[in-house]
Formats: sequence, C-alpha cells, structure tokens
Amino acid sequence: MPTRRQILKSAVAPMIVPSYVLGQRAGAVAPSDKVVFGGIGIGSRGAHVLSKILIIPEAKFVAICDVRDERRETIKSTVDKAYGNRDCQMYGDQYEVLARSDIDAFLIATGDRWHTPLSIIAAQHGKDVYCEKPCSMSIEESWALADAFRRYNRLYQAGCQRRNGANFVLCRELLKAGHLGKLKALYANVGPSVNWPPLPSRDWLEEEPLPPKQVLDWDRWLGPAPWRPYHSSYVRGGWRNFYDFHGGGILEWGSHTVDLCHWAADLDHTQPVEYEPVGTNVGPYFVNCRYENGVKLVMRDNGWNGALNTGSCSFKIEGEDGWVETGDQSTIECSDNIKPLLRPTEHARMALENHMREFVHCVRNRTNPSANADAAANSHVTCHAAFIAYQLGKTLTWDPAKSAFTNSDIANNMRSRALREPWRI
Amino acid sequence: MQQPITPAPKPQAAKPKPPEPPPHFQEGAIAKMDAAGLVKILTTPSSSEFQKAKACMRAGELAAKEAVPALAALLDDEHLSVYARYGLEPITDPSAGDALRAALTKLKGDRLIGVVNSLGKRRDAKSAPTLVKMMNGADQDLARAAAAALGSIGNEAVSKDLLATMNKATGLTKMAIADACLVCAERMIADGKREQGLALYATLSAPSVPKAARLGAMQAIISQEISIARPR
Repeated sequence: MPTRRQILKSAVAPMIVPSYVLGQRAGAVAPSDKVVFGGIGIGSRGAHVLSKILIIPEAKFVAICDVRDERRETIKSTVDKAYGNRDCQMYGDQYEVLARSDIDAFLIATGDRWHTPLSIIAAQHGKDVYCEKPCSMSIEESWALADAFRRYNRLYQAGCQRRNGANFVLCRELLKAGHLGKLKALYANVGPSVNWPPLPSRDWLEEEPLPPKQVLDWDRWLGPAPWRPYHSSYVRGGWRNFYDFHGGGILEWGSHTVDLCHWAADLDHTQPVEYEPVGTNVGPYFVNCRYENGVKLVMRDNGWNGALNTGSCSFKIEGEDGWVETGDQSTIECSDNIKPLLRPTEHARMALENHMREFVHCVRNRTNPSANADAAANSHVTCHAAFIAYQLGKTLTWDPAKSAFTNSDIANNMRSRALREPWRI
Repeated sequence: MQQPITPAPKPQAAKPKPPEPPPHFQEGAIAKMDAAGLVKILTTPSSSEFQKAKACMRAGELAAKEAVPALAALLDDEHLSVYARYGLEPITDPSAGDALRAALTKLKGDRLIGVVNSLGKRRDAKSAPTLVKMMNGADQDLARAAAAALGSIGNEAVSKDLLATMNKATGLTKMAIADACLVCAERMIADGKREQGLALYATLSAPSVPKAARLGAMQAIISQEISIARPR
C-alpha cells in the first residue's frame, strides 16, 4: 500500500478540492462551529421552536429526550427528515442526554412544572438553555433559576421571543428616544379569562386507568409537581387549567407581556412594590401595580386580541407626551403625535426565529441573551406576586430588596411550593 | 395605524373547557379553613387522600404550627408526603424543623430524600451531622440530596465536610457535591464570611473538580475581585 508521502510525490500538480466535493457550500458553517442542541420535552409548542433551530445554519439538533415514546419518535422523524439522515438520538432519561459532552445547549419545552428544575440541572452539566415560558412555578424558583445560571456562568434565553419582534422593538425605541415623554404607565395584557382564568383550579379530575409505562411514565410526567391520580386530559394539554401545574392567565401571558414592559422600560432588574387585584375568576380582570419610582404597571385581561385589535400578547407604553400599543398582529396603535414616526416593520411572527438566532449567536460569542435568566426572574417574580395577590384577593405590598411581601404573612408563605421528591432546585 | 409587511395570522379561538372535577375532588371550604379545621381533617381516619392533600396545602399557606404533628404523620405516605412538606416547609416554628429532623431516622428512599430537601430549603443547621453521614453513605441518590442540603445550610463547618467527601466521590455524586460547594460559598459570602467563601472557590478551581463547577468557581472569584474594586 503506498504511503501518504509516495502519493504526494506522484502527484503532478497540487490538488485543489472544490468545497462542494466535501459537502460544503460557499459560506457554509463548519460542523465544529455549530451550536449543537438537544431537546427535552418537545410537544406542539416545542416543535414550533425546534423548526427555527432546524433552519439556522449555525445550529444542529442531535438528540431528543421525552417521557412519551410517541413524542420522541415524532421529533426524531422531524429532525431526521430536515437533515436527511437518521442521526437524531432518542432518550427517556434527562441525565443520559445531559451527559453528552458534544451537546452545547438544550431546548426545554416541557410543561411549566419542569422548566426550572430541568434548566438548573442543565446548567449544572455546563449546558446553555433556551426554555419556553412561563419559566418558573414560584417566586423561589425564579430566583433559583437566575442564581444557577449566574453560578455556572451559562447562558439562558427565556422563550420571550417578542423582545426580538420588530414592532415591539419599534415601540421600545420610541420610548427610549423620548418621543413618548416621561414614562407614566405600562400595560401588559394577560391571558384572557375565557382561556385561562386568573385562578386555576386546585381540584383533581376523576382517576382514569394509567397507560402502560412505556407509553407514558406518569411519575416522570408529574415530576416535581404534587402527586395526583392520572387523567388523560392533563397530558393532552389540560394541565394548564390546574394550579399544581400552572400559574393561570397572569403567568401564561404575563411572562411575555410583563417581560416586554420590563424590557422596554429598562426595568429588568426590579419588580413593582404594590399589587392591587381587581375582578373575579370570570370575566375581565386586572392587577394594578406600581413601581417604586411611581410608574404604573397594569396587568389587564383585554381579550385575545386586545381592545385595539393589536393581537395576542399586546402591551402598551404610556408617556406624558404620547402612547403606543402593539401585539402579535404587528400593527402599532398610537397617539396622533407618534404616527409620523412609525415605519413598516417585519411581522411579529418572525420574532421567534430572530429570538432563536439571537440565542445561537450568543452561545457562539458567549454574550448574554436579551431574555436572560436575571431578566426572566424579575418579570416572573412580578407575575407570581400578582398571582398571589389575586389568589388572596387583597392589595399586597412588596419589598424588592428583601424579595418579601410587607403586609401579608400568608403571601410570604406562598412564595415557594414544595417539590415532589426526589426533585429539588 | 401602522401596517406590517406581511399579513396577520387569524386570532386563536377560545380553548375548550376542561372536564369537570367530581364533587369528591373539589377543594371547596378547605381553601378558607382555619388551623383547627385543617387539623381535624388531617387527623380524621375517614378523611380522603384529596381532603388531606388540600388541608396540607392550606396549612402551609397559613404556616399553621398546630398542624405540625398531623403533617409529620404523613411524611411517609407515598402520595401525600409532598403535601406534608408543602405544609411543613413554611412553618417557622421550631416544631416543624424538629418534625422533619425526626423523620430522618424513620424514612427511606424518595420519602427520605424529600425530607432532606425540605431541611436544606429551611437551612436547618441542626440536621447537618446526620446529613453528613448520609452524604457519605452508600445510597448515592440520598448522598446527592444530603450534599445539596448541606450546601444550602452553607457554613464553614459543612464546607469542610463537603470538600472531604467530594475528593472521594465520583460521577453524578461528585458533581452534586461540587454544586453544593458553590452554593455553600455563596451563602458564606452573603453571610459576611467572604474570605472563607473565596477560599472555598479557590479549592474548587482545582483540576480534579468537575468542569462546570470548576469554571463556575473561577468565574465567581473574578466577580468577587471585581466587586470590591481594589486599586491595582
């Protein structure tokens, strides 16, 4: 067999191998330069987020972990089809997939109850995380999440994609450029009560026979949530109706819209000091909040599309000189003096792709994403505090420095929830 | 009105209503009950699992110390143990800590791990000697839980125990102990023991420490150095 030296000597001219022979196109990203993703708990929403990873050249998705075999197979099929291979590996145990040293980052899109514990475990394994919202089940979890990502110096991007939505960015710019004048109030549309009542049920559904463990591992599905008998409605998405798994309409949309308010007004580092709940569990509801500097935050049930038809997850900024409001319809409503300053924007539906691109860019460059764990913690604590005020039906006052309510022991006792053994944060 | 470049999606329809919970699984009056009523539910043999679960949650919200014995009695219940801890964790009265500590010698498996987790959450320093034994025991799941609790307790004494055990540990347990050390260092610095916390970080910067924790420790040292802004 000829040696490498002999082959080189016999060559009549230097060989130049076109990149397409090696399977690379001009401008293609080398495999070693790609951010390698794994996924945990990917259902319908997660699959939508995954679809954005699959179109980013600088990203590669290689592994799916889920407690449901059907979902594992579905995601593997989607990924393999996109890449034209059969390389996506399937896992039932998160520790096995987290142990893979070739994976840089995880997409976590489980039910809410798993978001914080899994994100923290991923950080402990040295992984960066893109996690769907709501990111936490309690005030305690929110801070634990931020602490863990700071402790491990890992990157976290909450699924608050509107921070990368052009119409939302324009509204923020108008405030920051001073066109709206001094900030007076922020309005965050929360989940409509017809979809997610502000007070999710604390009841249980009638017990149904458990499916075989290989089809659904109920114990693993419940994870850190308190035990309850199995009912198929929970695993089909009905978990969002129940307190043990969900934070109601305030958390469901507030994790997006309160987050937008904080981001727009440079309030990512703090929370309001007062929370006044208004309404019942049926019909429109509000939580009127106030920051220490006097700025108001109004969490409001304004229907699915908002009173001005700006779309789901709308938010409004009101200054002394003008106001703007926008949402998922992409249109921007505003006071007359602001109209000349508007410009056409990319549609809000591009926000998710932009948000994932930002995360991939940050992972490659080790810079902090816009919806990082600290920002997520502050907006989520705000939502949890409002949720507690709504549950108690009384105005609560809050000390951000102590992370404690100042006028209710019961409210303070509700800042955390026990996690089912053996899970912890 | 400003127009987007692309057309808007259709608004989402209201979601279908969930199934109705049966009467025996409805919280009802328990949500407003006082401590005496909750204790009655928890100690009545005919109370259902659901009623006890809800009574535990309500007891936790009230931090009802009167309910401690009844809550402690449920710590070994496969389904209700988490609810019992839901009740016990917020109770600041020493009797809650005493009850959880007493359970350390009675429980096994996941129930025991749950109690260890709760003691860690409460930063119960009195449980440290028992937790150190557990961290050095054969049950690796329990050892990891004990390490996490010790890290949360976070003082100089437990930092020495954590380091001594970490040097012998392997795999996930070593990783858990390293994580506990990082938490312990944070707690010490927050409690004013800056030099001890920094010394722990320095020890965690050794090559034998799991990579994620090692990098975390090095980053923490840099952050701490920057935070005091000494002239150079």
